[in-house]
Amino acid sequence: MDIYLPIAEVSVNAPLLVALGCVVGFISGLFGIGGGFLMAPVLVFMGVPPAVAVASQANHVVASSASSVIAYSRQKGVDYRMGGIMAAGGAAGAFLGVEIFRILRLLGQADLVVALSYLVFLGAIGALMLLESLQAIVRRRRGVVVAAAAERKRPWFYGLPWRMRFPRSGLYISVIPPIALGVFVGVLSAIMGVGGGFILVPAMVYVLRMRASVVVGTSLFQIIVTTAITTFLQAGRNQTVDIVLASLLLFGGVIGAQLGARVSGRFRADELRAVLALIVLLVGLQMGLQLFVRPQEAFAFAPGAGK
Amino acid sequence: MTPVAAPPPVASAPVYRTPDQPTVYAALTQANVRVSTTFKGARIVLYGAVFNPDDNPADVVVVVRGPTQPVRLVRKVKVAGVWLNSRPVLFEGAPGYYMAASTRELGQIADFGTLRRLSIGVDHLKLEAPEEQQVVSRYGVPDVVVSRLAGDYLDWRNALIRLKQKAKLYDVDARGVSYVDRNHLFRAELLLPTDAPTGRYDVQVMLFKGGAKVSERDLTLRVKKVGFERSIYSFAHRSSWLYGLMSVAIAMLSGWVASRLFRRT
Repeated sequence: MDIYLPIAEVSVNAPLLVALGCVVGFISGLFGIGGGFLMAPVLVFMGVPPAVAVASQANHVVASSASSVIAYSRQKGVDYRMGGIMAAGGAAGAFLGVEIFRILRLLGQADLVVALSYLVFLGAIGALMLLESLQAIVRRRRGVVVAAAAERKRPWFYGLPWRMRFPRSGLYISVIPPIALGVFVGVLSAIMGVGGGFILVPAMVYVLRMRASVVVGTSLFQIIVTTAITTFLQAGRNQTVDIVLASLLLFGGVIGAQLGARVSGRFRADELRAVLALIVLLVGLQMGLQLFVRPQEAFAFAPGAGK
Repeated sequence: MTPVAAPPPVASAPVYRTPDQPTVYAALTQANVRVSTTFKGARIVLYGAVFNPDDNPADVVVVVRGPTQPVRLVRKVKVAGVWLNSRPVLFEGAPGYYMAASTRELGQIADFGTLRRLSIGVDHLKLEAPEEQQVVSRYGVPDVVVSRLAGDYLDWRNALIRLKQKAKLYDVDARGVSYVDRNHLFRAELLLPTDAPTGRYDVQVMLFKGGAKVSERDLTLRVKKVGFERSIYSFAHRSSWLYGLMSVAIAMLSGWVASRLFRRT
């Protein structure tokens, strides 16, 4: 059942795309990430031009995150105030990121920057998260009690100006760190075609020290806003959103996300984090290592030759 | 193919007088290729007839050129242990599709000069390149326009052809034209991959005798997006912002619908 994608201008297997959407949606619902970092490499491997893959899957991320945010919202797992503030930063970041991506693509350096971003961000975050979650698992097994987050020393940036109360997250902090985090994730969202959950989730846990029960839902909420803006900008500015591709992916994605959000309660948080860390690390290495391997073909087509 | 012991078909065709000169006739089974949702590439059969008054053998060469497009290429270079892309190099124009099919090796049909003049075969393909090196800025990005006189011109040219051949967009087939009966009726096949550019394709059917072109027919093939495919493509390009808004709306809506459905069950 091959289907011709009008914007990507290639023909791909439709059930395979739905299945891919479903698997990534499941992971997304389970870990509270968009799952874009998993999907982009697979789509490129299937022959979809990278620019179209990145832009169209952002739309898939919108759908699967929307689907699971509603599930989390029912369990009071979304801090809308925190999410909204981060999303404002995310919107600004997305504008910036789409422009950066446009210029990189025309310079022929988009591949390099995408691969490097994957290597650096996924590699570093995967490694750190893996280390931390393994330590947590070991501590739990040995029965060591760690001081609760609130009792630890408060980070310096809590005291920056414009402090605000976030009752659901259990925080009273400056709005500057969440906005800065939002901008950073927005830029990455446009360049890597990801929602940025793999950065948001650890940042919310370790940097902002939000209450664990609202981290996943809030991260998904912020991802929806950022990726919706990214999709809109990519479609309007670069015409790289393939609605047929996105629809197939999100058809599977929304179902997978529901299943993922459902089963996530059955696992321990530190074990989930360890698995996510491992996935993140492997994808980062896989994408990044291609920079060091001698390419089989020294030449490649660059996009943007124009009509 | 079983040989058919029939009179030459050209002579029996009522519309044409029997020509005095060697002449070639040809037609496409399909003059319009419609790219729709189920498009998986196309196979178009070209068939034709040769009228050849004497017994000296004649060769048929079919050349198809798709719409000319500018092409940008980058080259991977190793910098500090990492493979990076060079600055883009621009070819001002190259056919989006090119096929040369013939009854024999092109080199046996005509000499180098003739093939070059008629631009037959990938080695003789005309790529638009200026005489001097220059830099053009497109969207604020400086591109080096490949120059015909630059030392590495051939590397870039060969790379372009190799990449296009790999994508099945360029093809040279020395057995692509086959006679169906004894040197009168022939057929050739055009294979268009799914990413073949849309637009007008010029098809030249040439008859060669003794190393010279003696007759030619020109045909046209049009490849266009139709139906749903075409509407989406033009919608995405004409009202791109509205299209973006719609994509996001579809995504949000399906997320909401899925979560409703799952709550019930």
